[in-house]
Amino acid sequence: MTLKNSLAKATAKSAYWLLHDVLHRGGTSLPGKLAVAIDPDILKSIQQDFDLVIVTGTNGKTLTTALITRVLEAGGHQVITNPSGSNMIQGITGTLVTSRVTSNNGKKPIAVLEVDEANVEKVSSAIKPRMFVLTNIFRDQMDRYGEIYTTYDKIVAGIRNAPQAVVLSNGDSPIFTRGDFPNERLYFGFNHVSPEDYQPSKAPTNTDGILSPTDDSVLHYDFITYANLGKYFSVTDQFARPNLRYQVTDVTKLTPKYSEFSIDNTPLRIEIGGLYNIYNALAAFAVGREFEVPARDIKAAFESNAQIFGRQEAINVDGKDVTIVLIKNPVGTNSVIDMMLTENDDFSLLALLNANYADGIDTSWIWDAEFEKLHESHLKAIATGGERYRDMQVRLKMAGFADQSVYEDLTKVVDAIKSLPTQKVYIAATYTAMLQLREQLRSAGYIKGGF
Amino acid sequence: MADYTIAVAHLYGDLMNTYGDYGNIIALTYYAKQIDVDVDYQLVSLGDDFDADKYDFVLFGGGQDYEETIVAHDLQDKAIQVKQYIENDGPLLAVCGGFQLLGHYMMMADGTKVDGIGVMDHYTTNMHDPKLTVRNNERLTGNIVIKNNETGEEYHGFENHQGRTFLGESERALGTIVSGNGNNGMDQTEGVIYRNVYGSYFHGPIFTRNGNLAKRVLTTALTRKYPTIDWQSKLNAIPTETF
Repeated sequence: MTLKNSLAKATAKSAYWLLHDVLHRGGTSLPGKLAVAIDPDILKSIQQDFDLVIVTGTNGKTLTTALITRVLEAGGHQVITNPSGSNMIQGITGTLVTSRVTSNNGKKPIAVLEVDEANVEKVSSAIKPRMFVLTNIFRDQMDRYGEIYTTYDKIVAGIRNAPQAVVLSNGDSPIFTRGDFPNERLYFGFNHVSPEDYQPSKAPTNTDGILSPTDDSVLHYDFITYANLGKYFSVTDQFARPNLRYQVTDVTKLTPKYSEFSIDNTPLRIEIGGLYNIYNALAAFAVGREFEVPARDIKAAFESNAQIFGRQEAINVDGKDVTIVLIKNPVGTNSVIDMMLTENDDFSLLALLNANYADGIDTSWIWDAEFEKLHESHLKAIATGGERYRDMQVRLKMAGFADQSVYEDLTKVVDAIKSLPTQKVYIAATYTAMLQLREQLRSAGYIKGGF
Repeated sequence: MADYTIAVAHLYGDLMNTYGDYGNIIALTYYAKQIDVDVDYQLVSLGDDFDADKYDFVLFGGGQDYEETIVAHDLQDKAIQVKQYIENDGPLLAVCGGFQLLGHYMMMADGTKVDGIGVMDHYTTNMHDPKLTVRNNERLTGNIVIKNNETGEEYHGFENHQGRTFLGESERALGTIVSGNGNNGMDQTEGVIYRNVYGSYFHGPIFTRNGNLAKRVLTTALTRKYPTIDWQSKLNAIPTETF
């Protein structure tokens, strides 16, 4: 280690100590900036200390990263990871230079980093990862111009920096079979349907990313799990979903609060609903097995860390069982709707729409979410609100839910919850609407603290 | 089963549906149902025939650049039938990429020229075109309001496009800019009207937020198919969603 990078590392650590332990602010970005300013090659100099796993994709990065961390820890590795939100180059540098890495059992420490899609190239040019984990790529907040193929090209540029790294990706997503790079590719996916139950067909009209990489023909599917994910094949040539190294072999039970399923015939349970979260668990399982963590230890890691699933917040409002979920794009909203279809009790839905920058300023995505499916659920009452309540009101009216209570003003949202007729209430809100909702719940004493 | 049915073709609905364009069909169906009209929805995509005589309304939406180039290529095979549909006064709504591809050509942001089918007289340059005098090198993104000076109707929506479209001699604008940018940010036009074709950069989608336009197009489609019935009065009798 040179004097310069010792100094860079020491400066970053003191900045982190000052921010974190003295000022009680959870920053990793400033220490990273300081370290890079003193020694631009700081990352290169520390890479021999650990193996790096980069987790990227548009959805599910945070939970997947948290799960991989627990799984590898269960396998006896010391793990460094970045806090959610510190997934750009500065925050990542800060995380790495301020972490202590020591190993006392002969197993090399592993850094598991959630990396923003556009920052993969920067990170992998500084440190050669041992593995890339690609979760999925869905269209998101198009007002910021995130086309799926452009996003994937950015990730591929990062992969090309590290030809020795294994690329472990979601085999159910056709886009991950694209891209020109020499790396070893491994896939995970769903194989829970018996061939006699296949129903070969195209994806529903309203699905993105369905073109074959060989000839740009529209792919067909033996089955679809959600969105454009599933067992796809081409009808014009031999192209089909690649062989899966790790697979969900059985889906036993889906509920809004937990899921039971098997991966490679190991029965597992996670304390969160939603098929998309099974993909996150599958990615973590796959990484664990690649690092030779036994399946029984992975199972134990999922079961003993129930609190990390607690992102769908449950709140009690005068006896009502209220679940708050974030919505921001069609695929995510459809997943929330699918989760509501697994609710066996009568419930009400309060849908809150804002269109500030953090929400995405274009509201047209609500028309790509299939609210019509809620007719098949135990939904008993609908209320709408938020700054763009009219958009949501008309969307749901045109989906066949004419009878709605409408709350233009979120100051009445607590009363709105209380006046819904069912004991179970789901609130689907965009980001800033959720912040406003939480502020109302906080001032009414139903929750404590901030986000 | 209702007594009346309109057949709707969604051109490349599986590839060109990036900004909720399908919502236009949801809105059309919503109004149609209230006057006892069924909507028979059909996807017409890559390699499929488009039969001009089969449809009463056509939606051609917008897509991502990658899909748009694939669609542009396939559309050449359907060009004769699409032209026949338009010249026979078939009602059509074209949004963003769909609007661009009915014209002569469109330039992608990276300078790639994509041929349209030229069944309408507009063309689309890109945001880097040196001819631009307003907001060059910028996407035109944000809320937009326009007014149609013939009907006096106002339309509300959201625009997000890099392409700059210039209308031809035979084309009228869908509206004049009240606020926002429109076709090119320079000539105060937004969208196009040619025969019964309506083109626009509006997301929203346009029929969901502008029930007046949805009803106008539905009236045209129904009158063309069932000319002896007073569709306008029927539609006037039901509420219009406008916001």
